[in-house]
Amino acid sequence: MTIPTRPLTVTINGERYGPVDVPEGMMMIDVLHEMLDLTGSRLGCGIGICHACVVIWDRDDRTSEEVQTCITGAGFFDGKRIRTIEGIARRSDQGEVLALSPVQQAFLDRFSFQCGYCTPGFVNAATVLIERLKRTPVPRGQVEATVAAALDKHICRCTGYVRYYQAVRDVIVATPGLTRDAA
Amino acid sequence: MSVRRRIVIGAVVILIAGIAAAAFAMKNLWRGKTGGPVQAVSAPEEVVARGRYLAEAADCAACHTAPGGAPFAGGLAMPSGFGTIYATNITPDPDEGIGRWSAEDFWRALHDGVRRDGQQLYPAMPYTSYRGMTRVDADAIYAYVMRLRPMNVANRRTELNFPFNIRLGMLGWNLLFLHDSLPAVSTGSSSAWQRGRYLVNVLGHCGECHTPRGIAGEMELSQSLTGFALGRVAAPDITPAGLASRGWTAAGLRAYLGRGLARQGSAFSDMHPVIMLSTRNLTAEDLGAVATYLLGDAPRPPAPLPDIGPAESAAAAGGTGRMSYVALCAGCHGLDGDGVPNTVVAMRGNSTLRLTDPRNLIVAMLDGIGSENFPHRASMQAMPGFRDKLTDAQVAELANYMRETWGGQKPDVTPAAVRALR
Repeated sequence: MTIPTRPLTVTINGERYGPVDVPEGMMMIDVLHEMLDLTGSRLGCGIGICHACVVIWDRDDRTSEEVQTCITGAGFFDGKRIRTIEGIARRSDQGEVLALSPVQQAFLDRFSFQCGYCTPGFVNAATVLIERLKRTPVPRGQVEATVAAALDKHICRCTGYVRYYQAVRDVIVATPGLTRDAA
Repeated sequence: MSVRRRIVIGAVVILIAGIAAAAFAMKNLWRGKTGGPVQAVSAPEEVVARGRYLAEAADCAACHTAPGGAPFAGGLAMPSGFGTIYATNITPDPDEGIGRWSAEDFWRALHDGVRRDGQQLYPAMPYTSYRGMTRVDADAIYAYVMRLRPMNVANRRTELNFPFNIRLGMLGWNLLFLHDSLPAVSTGSSSAWQRGRYLVNVLGHCGECHTPRGIAGEMELSQSLTGFALGRVAAPDITPAGLASRGWTAAGLRAYLGRGLARQGSAFSDMHPVIMLSTRNLTAEDLGAVATYLLGDAPRPPAPLPDIGPAESAAAAGGTGRMSYVALCAGCHGLDGDGVPNTVVAMRGNSTLRLTDPRNLIVAMLDGIGSENFPHRASMQAMPGFRDKLTDAQVAELANYMRETWGGQKPDVTPAAVRALR
């Protein structure tokens, strides 16, 4: 039996991959792990619930959103641009990390996680949130609710929610332009 | 007969009818009571227990409980084309509930749609179905609800538009649309069938959602249980023909009503609370009776899934519908639509895919379905909605692929049909 394949071309972290032949029905997380050696995205539940596996899909209208790679076939990403956890920190041309993103740094500074399995998902979710607030700031009084709503779907089993949420709130409050006075 | 004479006769008829209606209304209102003693009900325990079972079969809690509110304390908003009606507090609170209601008052509400104060109820309260209830059963339910903890929760005023806010108008409505019994939808005569008819038509008041409604909001009894979209998700056709065409069997119906999960699919939208609050509590005998009535004493065989020809399946395999399915659905529902046991429903043979009307499938694709718990600790995780990821054309192609491949339906969903449901 041969499994039919489909060509996949996708831009990941600014770099173009493909076209590579991907077996029909292969989920994107397996493409990342097995074919592209990008192993930072975590496979958790495998049914789209825990959100440890999310990548950032940069849409053509300059908005971005999270997509669960465990339940999304590679074909969905054909011709699209995504960012994985490997693309969040600033790197040198040799690929060495020069600086963590403010979200990553805040998670470390505030001991936001313990085992770290869910962390790539939380980093991507918080990154998407902060980019959204750059385009449309929220009133200062709504920051906590906004953080809770944005991270709500991400599951952490080491009771890390409070420090995750506090870290993201602190980054938002400390970054100019993400909040505004209440109208 | 001259025109003049006809007008006179017509005027006299209208006058007499008006006087009769007014007299009837006055009689009702005179009989109406406010105040009075708080009722002390002493019924044997077995009657109270039976009342509880009947109240569950009649699914009183589904409407008489607000989201997050105390059971039976009312408050659920029921929007309609005529305005919004709020379910009332039916705990035995003397002031806000029915603590002063006698068994006779309770019976009149269930049987005639009249409140204790003599005012007419609106048929959001399904007295149109409960009218068939026996007095013994109504009294048992009364004995049970009067045993509930009284909750001092005020009722919300009905918000109906003129002229529907005139409760007396319901007199005329009842004359036209209130019937002593609802028609049978299947043929049968066995005791299970009789019991099932009572459970479906009266207690379960299934027709209130599953029967199409006319312009006055009445059930179109000539089309009983043929399905209707009262809300965003349509209640499907549950006549014997409709059920058989979608592969339902007695065993499937028993599993669905008893556990919310069957080979033909899982309960979602408005049917999920019906399972959780009502039908899951039915005895095995009563579940069997419901299935017997819905399918008839001699059920027709469930329609097999038609094999689609190789040419069609090859065309479907290379089409954009199939590509969307592989990209967005197959991760959970499986490449072959088999789902994951106890976790994700199968698409192959799924009842929703076999409906002639694609509405519910499209709504599920656009909105997703929230996570749901089922009896015996079963649960289904949330399905995401795909309104942001798929265009109207892509949703239509995807629906067509799934309906054709696993539902035996014609691929006739158009982008316009999808747009109408966004």
